[in-house]
Amino acid sequence: MLKFDTSRKRLFGFLFLGWILLILSDRIGELRQYQGAFVAMYALAIASIILLTGYSGQLSLGHSALMAVGAYAGALSINNLKLHPAIALVIAALIAGLFGLLLGYAAARLSGPYLAGTTLALAVSLPTIANQFPILGGEQGLIFDIGVPPARLGEDFSLYQWFFWISSLTALIMIWLLVNLISTRYGREFRALRDNPIAAQLSGINIGRKKAVAFSLSAGIAGLAGGLLVMLISGVSPSAFPLSLSFLLLAGAVVTGVYSLKGVILGALVLVAIPEIAESVVSRIGGSEGFVTSLPGFMVSALLILTVLFAPSGPGHLLHHKKHLKH
Amino acid sequence: MNQFITAVLTSLSTGAIYALMSIALVLVWRSTRVINFAQAGQAIFTTYIGYEVTIRSGSYWVGLISAILSGALLGAGIDRFFMRPIFKRVTSGPIVMIAPVVATLALLGIIQAIIGFIWGLNYQTIQAPVSTDGLKIFGSIIAFSPFNLMVLIAVTLSMILLTIVFQKTNIGLALRASAYAPEVSKLSGIRVDAVRTLGWALAGAAGGLAGMLYIPGSYLYPNAMDVLLVFGFIAAVIGGLDSLFGAVAGAMILGFAVNFSATYISYKLVFPTAFVILILVLLIKPSGVFSGKKGRKD
Repeated sequence: MLKFDTSRKRLFGFLFLGWILLILSDRIGELRQYQGAFVAMYALAIASIILLTGYSGQLSLGHSALMAVGAYAGALSINNLKLHPAIALVIAALIAGLFGLLLGYAAARLSGPYLAGTTLALAVSLPTIANQFPILGGEQGLIFDIGVPPARLGEDFSLYQWFFWISSLTALIMIWLLVNLISTRYGREFRALRDNPIAAQLSGINIGRKKAVAFSLSAGIAGLAGGLLVMLISGVSPSAFPLSLSFLLLAGAVVTGVYSLKGVILGALVLVAIPEIAESVVSRIGGSEGFVTSLPGFMVSALLILTVLFAPSGPGHLLHHKKHLKH
Repeated sequence: MNQFITAVLTSLSTGAIYALMSIALVLVWRSTRVINFAQAGQAIFTTYIGYEVTIRSGSYWVGLISAILSGALLGAGIDRFFMRPIFKRVTSGPIVMIAPVVATLALLGIIQAIIGFIWGLNYQTIQAPVSTDGLKIFGSIIAFSPFNLMVLIAVTLSMILLTIVFQKTNIGLALRASAYAPEVSKLSGIRVDAVRTLGWALAGAAGGLAGMLYIPGSYLYPNAMDVLLVFGFIAAVIGGLDSLFGAVAGAMILGFAVNFSATYISYKLVFPTAFVILILVLLIKPSGVFSGKKGRKD
């Protein structure tokens, strides 16, 4: 009998998931493909928050700004350097990661509320800074065009399916790498400094450096997600990265259970589903314009509070816990 | 010369508004060890109440007083019926670390959504009680209005009032004691929970005042106070988060730095200046410029 170790099982799991998504992409309509691409992008962004908060114990409200850094870097490398979109996405991740490293060294010295406040200040101020360099295109921003899908994929292969493919493939590969990373020594070290920094330090872990590395990794992934986001909306501008985006990602991470990467798809589905649910509620009961615009935010916030109160480690953990009790 | 006078006066009046927000944050931090991100929501919500009352009664002053009172009530209510249950329920697991931040952020989202439900998202204006046209000094008009002067006076008065409460009354003593050593205060018969709620109420009132003083010079919309929250936080960090005096001094430093860089270099530098100051303070003296003796450590 063949014996599979965990990492190989995991690889097959991801390949299987990819295969299902591939088949699915042919069977669903354009709207679902587009939404699916958003789910993959959100899953990646939520994974970056979970890596940072769940595994290294740092809290960031500035991930919208880090996504913006990646998105602008990607747009500039396509528009000005005429690079291939795939390379542009890599550059988006690298530049955001570098930016995150600088920020991470400052952040490593800050604890809880200080870090939250500082990254909040970053998220509020970075978009206004982006307005001041003409190369970044001001309020209108820059276009982000990856071109049409390759001709060999056939004529009825739509742009939305192409988006879905790129987004899902990127998210799958990155999350697979992440899951592998955190089951190695690095992951254990991250968890050690989250759970007990003093004990971690005594075991010879350089806390400052590890935290900065975690921040940089997380920022790189966020930058990549930012690149995917602007690919989906075909343009990058300050208004695409409001503070509420950071809040949304944090909500997605908490709702999935911030201490495990397993549920990122669930969190991402929730983020995409909520506006849709809000819309169907509105179409049924109607309401003023203010009601319509404010309802999704209300639902996300309420869900967040309920999660913190009733399932602080995420719904997955709740089930797991119940199962555990039965034994 | 005129430019210099204008910059000084504007710095004072913007610094005064930052001071109210940073005092609100510091009051909550001292009593609960939480940075209350919902402060921006509480302040704007009570400002909307002030706006409604101002329109109904036709008097800004009635609106101002109802904003301050409803701010205090809302602050106390949030502590009693929102923060306390959360602290009581969430006591174990790694979520404890991020629960306060997540809870106050979610509350901010809820408050802003409720404002959207009730008043909509359109920009509104609150008519200032005195002129907002620039004063005339040495025959030329400067960008400092009678309303700015009123802001300065109102904030100074409320600071004096707060100082008297904190330094001269038993309630103030209880507030200081339970911030400094909650366990010992409890043993000496101070009802720490009630004092904590009082801290939230005072913070809420300061937020309501800040909103009613800031919005007439700007516009009223659900996110109007978000930026002030950030500036208030930076001011509080400059002052060391624990000290009320530090919060005011930090706000003035921030007000001057922001306005002078805007006047003399470029108006685009408002956010970069504030952010650079925040990073510098955090890297060089994270305990704040005005932190003297070591207080409670946690």
